[in-house]
Amino acid sequence: MSDHEMTPPEQLAFGEALAELETIVTALESGQLELEDSMSRYERGVALLRALQGKLSDAQQRVTMLLGELEAEEPAAE
Amino acid sequence: MAEERALSVSEAMNGAKRALESVRVRVVGEVSEFNDKPGYKAAYFTVCDEGASMPCMMWRDAYIASGVELRCGMLVEMSGFFSAYVPKGRMQFMARSVSLAGEGMLRMQVADLARKLEAEGLMAASRKRALPEFPTRIALVTSPRGKAVHDVIRTLKRRYPMAELLIAGVAVEGADAPRAIVEGLRVAAEAGPDLILLVRGGGSYEDLMPFNHESVARQVAASSVPVITGIGHEPDDSIADMVADFRASTPTAAAEAAAPAIEEIRGRLTSSQRLLARALLHRVQHAVHRVRLLVDRPVFTDPNILLAQAWQALDVAGVSLQRAIPSRLERDAQRLEYTLDRLVRLGPSIPKRAGDRVAMGAARLNDLSPLAILGRGYAVAFGADGSTVLRNPADVSIGDSINVRVQGGTINGVVQSTRGVEDR
Repeated sequence: MSDHEMTPPEQLAFGEALAELETIVTALESGQLELEDSMSRYERGVALLRALQGKLSDAQQRVTMLLGELEAEEPAAE
Repeated sequence: MAEERALSVSEAMNGAKRALESVRVRVVGEVSEFNDKPGYKAAYFTVCDEGASMPCMMWRDAYIASGVELRCGMLVEMSGFFSAYVPKGRMQFMARSVSLAGEGMLRMQVADLARKLEAEGLMAASRKRALPEFPTRIALVTSPRGKAVHDVIRTLKRRYPMAELLIAGVAVEGADAPRAIVEGLRVAAEAGPDLILLVRGGGSYEDLMPFNHESVARQVAASSVPVITGIGHEPDDSIADMVADFRASTPTAAAEAAAPAIEEIRGRLTSSQRLLARALLHRVQHAVHRVRLLVDRPVFTDPNILLAQAWQALDVAGVSLQRAIPSRLERDAQRLEYTLDRLVRLGPSIPKRAGDRVAMGAARLNDLSPLAILGRGYAVAFGADGSTVLRNPADVSIGDSINVRVQGGTINGVVQSTRGVEDR
């Protein structure tokens, strides 16, 4: 987790950001952190959450053809 | 020719037998009956097609040597000749060899290849790689035509639109298909995806044969990127499936296996959000609680008293010292020196000593505190305002709230009855 601590959440891969968020939740739930540490981790967690939710709502499928040409689906096939 | 004499039945049948046996043929047909009793010298079976059926027999040794276990419904190719069973006047085919034909043959070849690759360890569970949880690039190798490619596109769009989908459209049928699929897998891997899907819609066993091709199987097994297969329908099992990192039963199932559904991820985020807020709230409440406990301690109610006591002690010590010096001056100069030396050394440590005294004072004050008395099991009753100490039953009325302070905290109660000392 410490690897990403300084990485802006938007620059993390989705899985990395989610893993960090869940680590923060676990650490906070342990109740072992200093109050200041709890606050700063909470802030980091909220930033991660916001970035993750943003990625979900902005997601739009992109399709690229590497080989061949995609043929439209036959209407009857549906 | 009219004078030709009539033959006996035996002569006629033997003539027919000889005539039949002179023709050697290869015959393909489906086994419709099969009888192989251990005591028999031969295996007896019937082979048919839509318009005809043919009783067959095969000597047991030749049958065992063929390696084929005949079952009804099998398509077989036989070589041999027709003959007649003279005593019963029945015609039959004498099979000299038998082998599986068509799909049956294909299945046998596929089974052989499967055994070979399995022996090489290519199907071992330990070779199967974990799939990425949240892929950002998914490559799809399949036909660019037909339903399968659109099933995958649609499924990923609905469930997991976050990934870029890279499609290598290749021929999946025909003689060139194995080469095209291998090339598709290679191009897909080069594009640097997190995952490759190799899929094909349903078809006959023969249609799926390219996915049983050794070159395809080896390319899948050697792929630098994890491969999910979704080939044909549920019961179909190709060699590509067996060597893949994950085998899904259909193209749609392969797309579903590639990534979690977006609703599932949303659910995880919502739950994280709730847990995060709750955990911080608990942490803050815990801190507030601890501060409250400290604030209530008598040490903090009037710290000036403690400091005054400490300074007073210092003053007393100073006075004694001043008094001591002149009286001992004459009698013991050495003692004076020692005392001065001590004084010098004491100088810098006075603040520390004062601190120690503060702590000692605090401890003493704590002994005197009502709380220490509570520690011995006594209780103090306060009125509803929490500050008026109740000394007489008359201080309260029935139904009043009272707070009883005990060592571990406060007990809240309601007055049910009162009784004075003289009421005893």
